[in-house]
Amino acid sequence: MSQYRVSGRGRVDTSRPVTFTFDGKRFTGAQGDTVASALLANGVHLMGRSFKYHRPRGAVAAGSEEPNALIGTRRGPGRFEPNTRATVQEIWNGLETNSQNKYPSLKFDVGAVNDAAYMLFSAGFYYKTFMWPKNFWHKVYEPFIRAAAGLGVSPTEEDPDHYASRYLHCDVLIVGAGPTGIAAARAAAVDGLKVVLVDENAEAGGTLLSEPQAQIDGRPAWDWLAAELEALKAAGVKIMTRTTAIGYYHQNMIGMVEKLTDHLPELPEDTPRERMWRVRAKQVVLAQGALEKPLVFHGNDRPGVMLAGSAQTYLNRYGVLVGKRPVIVTSHDSAWFAAFDLQDAGAQVQAIVDLREGVHEALLSEARARGITVKLSHTATATSGRLRVSSLRVNPVSGGSVGAGEEIRCDAVLMSGGWTPSLHLFSHTKGSLAWDDDRTTFLPKDTPEDCLIAGASRGLWGVEAVLKDGAEKGREVAELLGKTPAQVAYSVAGDRTGTGISMKELPTDRSPGKAKAFVDYQNDVTAKDLRLAVREGMRSIEHVKRYTTNGMATDQGKMSNINGLNIAADALGKKQPQVGLTTFRPPYTPTSFGAFAGYHRGDHFEVTRKTQIDAWAEENGAVFEPVSQWRRAWYFPKAGEDMDAAVARECAATRKSVGIFDASTLGKIEVVGPDAVEFMNRMYTNPWTKLGVGKCRYGLLLGDDGYIRDDGVIGRLGQDKFHVTTTTGGAARVMNMMEDYLQTEWPDLNVWLTSTTEQWSTVALNGPNAAKLLAPLVEGVELTEETFPHMSCVECTVAGMPARLFRVSFTGEIGFEVNVPAPMGRQLWETLWEAGQQYGITAYGTETMHVLRAEKGYIIVGQDTDGTVTPYDAGMGWAVGKKKPDFVGMRGLARPDLRAKNRKQLVGLLTEDQSKLEEGAQIVFDPKQPVPMTMVGHVTSSYDTGTTGRPIALALVEGGHEKLGETVYIPMPDRTIAAKITSTIFVDPENARLKI
Amino acid sequence: MLLIHCPYCNETLPELEFTYAGQAHVVRPEQPSGQSDEQWEEFLFIRANVRGPHYERWRHFHGCGRFFNAVRDTVSDKFLTTYEADAPRPDLSSLTERQK
Amino acid sequence: MNAPVSSFTSGALVETSAARISKAPAIGRLSLRARGDLAPFDAALGVGLPLSIGQRASVDGTEILRLGPDEWTLTTPVPRTAQIEAAFAEIYEAHPHSLVDISGREVTFEIEGAQAAELLTLGCPRDIETILPGQGRRTVFDGVTVVLWRDAEDRFRMDVWQSFAPHVLALLDTGCRELAAQSH
Repeated sequence: MSQYRVSGRGRVDTSRPVTFTFDGKRFTGAQGDTVASALLANGVHLMGRSFKYHRPRGAVAAGSEEPNALIGTRRGPGRFEPNTRATVQEIWNGLETNSQNKYPSLKFDVGAVNDAAYMLFSAGFYYKTFMWPKNFWHKVYEPFIRAAAGLGVSPTEEDPDHYASRYLHCDVLIVGAGPTGIAAARAAAVDGLKVVLVDENAEAGGTLLSEPQAQIDGRPAWDWLAAELEALKAAGVKIMTRTTAIGYYHQNMIGMVEKLTDHLPELPEDTPRERMWRVRAKQVVLAQGALEKPLVFHGNDRPGVMLAGSAQTYLNRYGVLVGKRPVIVTSHDSAWFAAFDLQDAGAQVQAIVDLREGVHEALLSEARARGITVKLSHTATATSGRLRVSSLRVNPVSGGSVGAGEEIRCDAVLMSGGWTPSLHLFSHTKGSLAWDDDRTTFLPKDTPEDCLIAGASRGLWGVEAVLKDGAEKGREVAELLGKTPAQVAYSVAGDRTGTGISMKELPTDRSPGKAKAFVDYQNDVTAKDLRLAVREGMRSIEHVKRYTTNGMATDQGKMSNINGLNIAADALGKKQPQVGLTTFRPPYTPTSFGAFAGYHRGDHFEVTRKTQIDAWAEENGAVFEPVSQWRRAWYFPKAGEDMDAAVARECAATRKSVGIFDASTLGKIEVVGPDAVEFMNRMYTNPWTKLGVGKCRYGLLLGDDGYIRDDGVIGRLGQDKFHVTTTTGGAARVMNMMEDYLQTEWPDLNVWLTSTTEQWSTVALNGPNAAKLLAPLVEGVELTEETFPHMSCVECTVAGMPARLFRVSFTGEIGFEVNVPAPMGRQLWETLWEAGQQYGITAYGTETMHVLRAEKGYIIVGQDTDGTVTPYDAGMGWAVGKKKPDFVGMRGLARPDLRAKNRKQLVGLLTEDQSKLEEGAQIVFDPKQPVPMTMVGHVTSSYDTGTTGRPIALALVEGGHEKLGETVYIPMPDRTIAAKITSTIFVDPENARLKI
Repeated sequence: MLLIHCPYCNETLPELEFTYAGQAHVVRPEQPSGQSDEQWEEFLFIRANVRGPHYERWRHFHGCGRFFNAVRDTVSDKFLTTYEADAPRPDLSSLTERQK
Repeated sequence: MNAPVSSFTSGALVETSAARISKAPAIGRLSLRARGDLAPFDAALGVGLPLSIGQRASVDGTEILRLGPDEWTLTTPVPRTAQIEAAFAEIYEAHPHSLVDISGREVTFEIEGAQAAELLTLGCPRDIETILPGQGRRTVFDGVTVVLWRDAEDRFRMDVWQSFAPHVLALLDTGCRELAAQSH
């Protein structure tokens, strides 16, 4: 057994040794150890270097509040995590750990030169020191600070683990499974109430794990605990360990992170590393306990100086003596019990040094009985020792003056500055706090949430008191939920009640300005820094905090907040509540990005919608592009083709013979009801009343501000039935907008909307041979110019499938869109593909579609429009029904600004040098004007290849419609391109090609 | 994450089922073309920026699909009430009284 | 697991000790929108339309779930679809409504097993326990709108639009395996 392991103590299983490495060196601990407890069992206190001064540091605590002992943990490739608290990480065979923020080694670190320069690195040093010269910041200061200061390094490999999330609804959530939480759960678990008890530690029990001497209801604490946990499980309570409640959100929503595998030697299959629980509880009981405060004195950060309560935990929970010759410094009774426990376990306590003038006689006689020296009215003024404390200097204090110092040799200093109720989650609720002068701390007052706070987290002390309080709060929440829980009484023997006082930095006989008396260990903030901040004008604790960074490290000031407040209040000559407390924010402890991301990574990062024809496209070599949530076939390259070549081929083939295109992603809305036509009249700019059944019309949708929102072809399939299509990206938005007007402005209209986007697979055929290809497959209509002219629609049969057939064109060629029930989409596509072979049918993607439509001047909403473009700006005044009494956007179009001359208008551009413009490029009228130039528009669409034999572009240009034939300029980084303003129609302005 | 009572479903459900839809009781005029530029500006652009109870609209998007109205306190983020789209604006004093 | 929809076949897609996911056979689906006097619709269907959101009714293999104040979804054997459409067409003039065939729009996953309800908590923010056996709701699963039918304590059906189905199935698949691994 290792040197510092105490036989017969602790809950770890020493018969199951566990081997791990720390900085490459092998150590053996016991099953149940944390890295910190195992290292301490091996006599290792030095576990890291501090953030700013690179001072050697050891574990100061035994739980998640630990600010110093931050390590990196590794489990093979990709599984590296920095900044893990050694006090929380459980060991397993093969675990690799390393210390951080040191070079070249933990024991000899060159960065410790910062420590010697302590006087330079005072509060606000970033603001003062690095202000000038300006360009030194990037080149000199920042790289130096980044290299020298900081915690662990970020992992660089991809994380191979997976992460999970879950929603959980319960009646009662109890945070903290110490005696308070257990008693609360027991009381609340009545009459079928769903109770969840959660604790961040590996096992439930809280303080009871460190206080085995207590007898509850006549049973030793650990026996009682085991029986009670069994009873809770039997009562249906869900007990979740290794699960941290990280944040308390609105209406009793609590975020909890469960760690599932970090303690396991083997990773089980299909098990996530961490799981985020989003819990909605009807009632919450917060029983997070209290955190011990350090004392603030010179050298209080040396390895071997730790919290007395934590030493007690290491002894009683892990069977580890943190030192064989400890000395205790305290302002609270609780540390006396730590002294007694260590003495009883074989340590020789060198002295109990208490800041107070008097303590309870019972404590003094217990100390006497053990032969422990007691020094009341004494202060600690220094520690010494290089990488481990070797002595403590103590001085008597009398009437405010500090007497001569005396060195006490020791191998550990156990300190207690009293206890701070853990109010983090309570504060997340926007709960108000009240200052309690007796306890020198803030206590919880009111909260807007359905939440009670119990036990030590509301300032109670002692096992019996918190059991009683837990049971009371448990009963209270059960009653609030309409149940009548039974009364439970607890009696506790061997309870360690006590009191104490809260200190600012301890009195000293040395210059306080030179003292390295740490308040915030993690950010290396000293009492001197806080006083300096006040001297330099900081008045609010929020300013003091930011100026000094006190409480701003990853431990969020769990240990430092109250000490910092006491010192700042003293420096300001105010009471603590007048200075205020900084805000606690989620998460309670550092939380991995993986836990927040949950399942949403890799393939599951977000929804990828695919059409029924997508698989065909993939099998046929399509390159895809994302369009809103959809992935769409972009182009279909043949062997050796790049994008330009493929698109040029697809364009030519479509204009020459026939192209086939998957248009299934277009939004579709079925508008049905006697008022369908009235609804269409009100929604769209166009008139619909005279549109015959079996006819289609291009529809333009505006917002009430008069700007273009969406467009699409709309077919009238019956007197009361319209088949509306929308843009791919606009489908959901348009549906929402229509429902909004219908439900809230025109609830009297008898018309209903149904999304049919995914009811139909839509295949578009375009080209001179489209009708020839399709005609033999269609039953119910003849595809001639007379029987089925351009802009017709019909319900018919295509290739034996029920279909809605539209004769429309987004290419300028003869065009059809065949809609069949979605699952038949691929069958339709393949049938048309086969039938089209004789015409050399060519599949084209979205890029060719874009080129072909641009050649015809057809706009794409969201590309050629940007939410500030009116139909008139886009040259589509013809689509506006001027005789209608109203439509959405009609009044908006009459706004003075929208009628102004010189608005940016959509035009075509042809470059003089035949080069392709960049989409988004800015346009000027005079290229010789001084910079910054007056920009008069931008290129909205631009294509290199196509059927016109030269690049074309669409652009929005100020007053463009009046400037046809004029030249504008597009300044680029390397040159200025001249372009002529043209009509937006580059191909077949007479629409001759649309005719069969 | 808030809990929202849908007045149509008569269930109190997580915010994730709902979408926000702006200020409530902004009525589109019967005859927009009869509106002056000032009136139309008021209708289109001018919204309250309330510190306290705010009349607003939500839609039970992943549920019954209905738009409805709510009064939410923008300070506490608590809903004072929700009500159907065509119901009259509830009296604020009775709501704030109930909250106490 | 983001296979194209067309690769789903009817039958079991995932099965673990926690739950079994299968794709339901093709079925007729209709979206009915109506308001006012519902008696004529009840007569056309041969059963009363459920009166509150989330309630169901059934007749001759046709199931009806109320989704909203004026909205119902009907599932029915494919051949019945045309009959129902014809019956509703007859009353349209007197009782205007909207009846839209959405058979092709959605796929249905059957989710059953000891941990079926728990599996849904991976993606459903609402409390699944408030959907009683014999009821149904439109809700959201991992950001995707779904209609959830609870047929028994441990048996659900989930209607998902075609293009969202692979995403939903991928999470259900991960969840089935995760739950099974945890219950060991």
